[in-house]
Amino acid sequence: MKKLFRYLKPYRFFAIISPLLMMGEVLADLCLPYLMSFIVNYGIIGEELAGNRVASFLVGIFYPNGGYSNLNLIILFGVLMLVVTLIGGFFGTLCAYTAARASQSFGHDLRRDAYRRVMSLSIEQTDRFTTGSLVTRMTNDIAMIVEFIEMILRMFVRAPMFFIGGSIFLLMLNVEFGVVLLVSLPVMLLTLIFVLARAVPLFGTVQKRLDRVNCVVQENVGGARVVKASVREEYENERFAVANGELRSINYRVLRLMAIMNPVLIFVQNFAVIAIIYIGGNSVAEGLGGMSTGNIMAAVSYVTQVIMSIMMVTMMFQSVSRALASAKRVREVLDTDPVIADGNGDMQVGGDIAVSFRGVSFRYPDTAGAPVLHDIDLDIRRGETLAIVGATGSGKSSLVQLIARFYDPTVGEVLIDGTPAQQYKLHDLRKKIGYVLQKSELFSGSVADNIRWGNPGATNAEIKAAASAAQADAFISSFSDGYESPVAEKGASLSGGQKQRLSIARAIARKPEILILDDATSALDLSTEAKLRGALREVMQGTTVIMIAQRVASVRDADRIAVIEDGTIRHCAPHEELLQISATYRDIYASQMGKGGAAV
Amino acid sequence: MNGKQERRPAAAPSFDMRPGGRGNPHSRASVQKPKNMKKTVARLLRYIGSSRYILIALLVIMLVVTAAELVGPLLQGNAIDAIEPVYRNAETGEILYNYDKNHPVFEDIAVKTTFEVHFWRTDYMGRDGETAGLYTYLIAMAAVFLVCSVLHYFQGIIAAKLSQRTVFVMRNDLFRKISRLPISYTDNHKHGDLMSRMTNDVENVSNAISQSITSLFSAALTLVGAFAMMLILSPLMTLVAMVTVPLSIFISTKLGKFMRRYFVRQQRLLGGLNGTVEEMVTSYKTVVAYGKEEAAVSQFSEISEGLRDCAVSARVWGSVMGPVMNFIGNLQYVLVAATGGAMILFGGPGSISIGNIQSMLSYSKRFTRPINQIANQYSAILTALAGAERIFEVMDQADEIDEGTLEIAPGDIKGNIEFEDIFFHYVEGEPVLKGFDLSVKAGQKIAIVGATGSGKTTVVNLLTRFYEVVGGRITVDGIDIRDMPKSTLRRAIAIVLQDTVLFHDTIRANIMYGRPDATEEEMIAAARHAKANSFIERLPEGYDTLLDEAGSNLSEGQRQLQAIARAVLADPKILILDEATSSVDTRTEMHIQQAMVALMKNRTSLIIAHRLSTIRDADVIVVVKNGVIAEAGDHDTLLAKKGEYAKLYQNQFAGIAT
Repeated sequence: MKKLFRYLKPYRFFAIISPLLMMGEVLADLCLPYLMSFIVNYGIIGEELAGNRVASFLVGIFYPNGGYSNLNLIILFGVLMLVVTLIGGFFGTLCAYTAARASQSFGHDLRRDAYRRVMSLSIEQTDRFTTGSLVTRMTNDIAMIVEFIEMILRMFVRAPMFFIGGSIFLLMLNVEFGVVLLVSLPVMLLTLIFVLARAVPLFGTVQKRLDRVNCVVQENVGGARVVKASVREEYENERFAVANGELRSINYRVLRLMAIMNPVLIFVQNFAVIAIIYIGGNSVAEGLGGMSTGNIMAAVSYVTQVIMSIMMVTMMFQSVSRALASAKRVREVLDTDPVIADGNGDMQVGGDIAVSFRGVSFRYPDTAGAPVLHDIDLDIRRGETLAIVGATGSGKSSLVQLIARFYDPTVGEVLIDGTPAQQYKLHDLRKKIGYVLQKSELFSGSVADNIRWGNPGATNAEIKAAASAAQADAFISSFSDGYESPVAEKGASLSGGQKQRLSIARAIARKPEILILDDATSALDLSTEAKLRGALREVMQGTTVIMIAQRVASVRDADRIAVIEDGTIRHCAPHEELLQISATYRDIYASQMGKGGAAV
Repeated sequence: MNGKQERRPAAAPSFDMRPGGRGNPHSRASVQKPKNMKKTVARLLRYIGSSRYILIALLVIMLVVTAAELVGPLLQGNAIDAIEPVYRNAETGEILYNYDKNHPVFEDIAVKTTFEVHFWRTDYMGRDGETAGLYTYLIAMAAVFLVCSVLHYFQGIIAAKLSQRTVFVMRNDLFRKISRLPISYTDNHKHGDLMSRMTNDVENVSNAISQSITSLFSAALTLVGAFAMMLILSPLMTLVAMVTVPLSIFISTKLGKFMRRYFVRQQRLLGGLNGTVEEMVTSYKTVVAYGKEEAAVSQFSEISEGLRDCAVSARVWGSVMGPVMNFIGNLQYVLVAATGGAMILFGGPGSISIGNIQSMLSYSKRFTRPINQIANQYSAILTALAGAERIFEVMDQADEIDEGTLEIAPGDIKGNIEFEDIFFHYVEGEPVLKGFDLSVKAGQKIAIVGATGSGKTTVVNLLTRFYEVVGGRITVDGIDIRDMPKSTLRRAIAIVLQDTVLFHDTIRANIMYGRPDATEEEMIAAARHAKANSFIERLPEGYDTLLDEAGSNLSEGQRQLQAIARAVLADPKILILDEATSSVDTRTEMHIQQAMVALMKNRTSLIIAHRLSTIRDADVIVVVKNGVIAEAGDHDTLLAKKGEYAKLYQNQFAGIAT
């Protein structure tokens, strides 16, 4: 939390002035019962003003020569009350403004920095946080902290001041009233501690059981086909009823605990009032100085205020623990140093080797066992089309990820244009690359926005050209809004093949030096894919293309085909040659083309 | 992401809405308005009605609590009245009966005010007929509030019981309904939306029941009670107290409207912020690959700044409400006090007491509070009703049709399938199947191929009765599948889908999903059959490995192997493989293929695949085009025919565009 307070520093003016303003509001609020007691004592009952210096001073200002009736006094003190209310309101509103200004600005700065940090993390680091958790940290957690800061600025002054001020006023009226506080406060505190100590640990369980309920629903909605096909509806209903019942019982337990608070509050508050009237009545009877009906009424107001302030403090403590938890989660993000960082920018670009792997081994961070890739040595010439084939999990995707520095190799180095990838500024490195992932990721915005995404300067003509090359122009044009059609819900309304083609168009529009297609055409039917390959050859002349594919038909035209097996490159040669030298490739070929592979 | 980018509504008519489109759940709604309030309220009440005894108990308790709380100020006023101001001649100490400042009789007398405290019943000077003293009232107060506290406790518990019970029943009903809905419903609705009905909407309804209903009821009671008490105490002062009521209603609604504008905007910006973070973080790889991190940050920062400014305004307007209401409250206080004071001064003693004024002040405060309370609850109740409406909307959907009664033991099904002149469309006017005919004999292996969107998957949807045919009929062993219960039909079928579905449970439970009564040996044998055993056994917990979030700790290929093992264990008469091996590389697929061949023996199998290699061994290959079967036959026959199939095959083999 302390570290986060740093973000409040630029707004310290607002942050400091806000509690001061709050003091103004509290003082005004504390004056009100006092003025009310004047109305009762001097206006209604008609006691002598001389008994109270404050009251006679106030009256003296407005009626220096006397000559006021009791009704005049009621109206005078009444108007004063309204004026004090207005002043209090003025301070209160100003305080709200300054507190909001400070906390919201704090929130914005924190959010921006945290988000910037997220955007600098490596893929592996974001994976470790998980998407959902990062989203909550950016939004809910920061909102929680902002709310907390705002509350500190307003309430942490308000509650203690009410407590102290109310107590002082109360004791000023009659010292014996202190007994009421001495008895009622511990009772309240003990109850609150009792309830919260039991309820707070349950909150976590509530959340867990709620997650469980959500999980079952999610599975049943997403997996409806499997549930129905397996005729397990009854079983799922049972499963849900159990999860739901568990949630209900824990919720009920929490609510039952919380139900103790309200009655205790009512009890303590009202018994404090009774005690005040009892003590006040006795003081009046003993003729103790200055005690009167109006004072008792004021004392009743103060005791109520003091008890409410205690309530307020406990509510705040509840949110302290929540805010601390949130602060810890946000801090974790801020404290994560990006493992993939900018290089020094030293580049000696040259040579005709676009990408070069030198003795590369790679294992995903924090994993044990055999490395995913080992002993990779490979030079890819500028303008070459290199295809990569291999079994599921053999390391194809991992290999190309090293080029864009999604990860760094564990051993060895990757050179881009003759310069180690780690020496590049990340921005410069990735500007060279057009990357199309296995799973297409589209963004909200129009189709044109999505294609232009990687190259904001692209003209409409360039976008159309890129779409044509990606075989996407035809289906885009069939939309009623054409290129301006919205891509909603991350492209949920598009088919898999359409999404892939849009992603490819996006990469082409970027005019990259290196184009990486990571199994990016799997959802295209073969004739479309063939047209796409033809168009790429035409449009992307001079571009180094690295493509991962499953189908032999997709790779056979490549300049070279790298066969990856068990994390290393077994062979790298053109199709015909591979058929001769690589048994694995022959296997793959045969598995797709049939035993003889001889048709045509 | 570039320049102007507004989020447009998701329903874009120009896009083909494919079944299976999946939405994202975080659509946060602010205050929503229900469409048909009366009907929804009635239905909701019926729901609560199922716990009517609890509800009645709750209302009775609240009636008593409110009444007791209303008596409180009266007792307090009376207690204070037991301290009687007595006016004495300052010099002689003689009591001045009927003292009136303005009366000429008292003009030259210096008056001293003293207080007489009547602890128990004693004769009051100013008022006749007082029967009780200070202690009497304090004891009465103590008794009333003791009862009040205890009842409050029960009120809390009963309200909790009521809301939790209603929510429980409602959730269970909603879930049962969801499990009975036809697949077309889940296909055509965003899953996130359904989820949020299950959680947010039900939660809103629950809050409304436990808080809004009780507080509305008690507000109404207090309103009526306080008004009555005030009338009894003093009609004149009641009238004065009422003066500020229209003012406070007027200002609170006006100010509320103003405030809401900011809160609605704030909510929208917050939604936008969530959306941006989620979008960028889920697609982080692409963001990184395109070096768009800074652009993402500045876009985010822009929204965040808007949120900051809007939030400040919202807070300031929100905080104005308090002082304004305070002012009106104090204005009322002063007015009531002044009227009361004037009544005492001019009306002479006896007309109204100081204690009565104190009680009046208490009641007038109690009278204004419920008005604010009702205003506060208004939006919560509207939101809850809108939520209830969304829940009922799901509940009103027609169930999956399941009228067949012809019971057949699953073992007696042989697996002859007949598609007779099938017509089908998902959307009116866009036919998918147009007179589709297909005859499959028991034990045959049928492969269905064709371009994307040609209707391959539809054939499966119809056979499993996920969707109902529009025209024609499908028979299994000569029986129209509509004549048998769906459970019978589906028990005879096992299906492996393109998108693997795994549950948050152990691997064992997932494999046994289709046949929960299988033995451990059978389960392991099935895994071995599907070539899933080797990777499972390498896991530290083996078959007891708990799959987290739908098996995200496994690779797509491993997930598919499990789904295949599930089908193997189910041991069905009819097996459907819908692109089942698309994420497995071809060589692994070949291994599974061998298992598949064994698996498909003695079963009727329908295989849908992209890769022709998967299906070349099929007894019959069916090429679907334009909603009908373009050609059918075995691999060699079809190749020789040089028709559609030959074209597809060439295409894959040679990679030549046709």
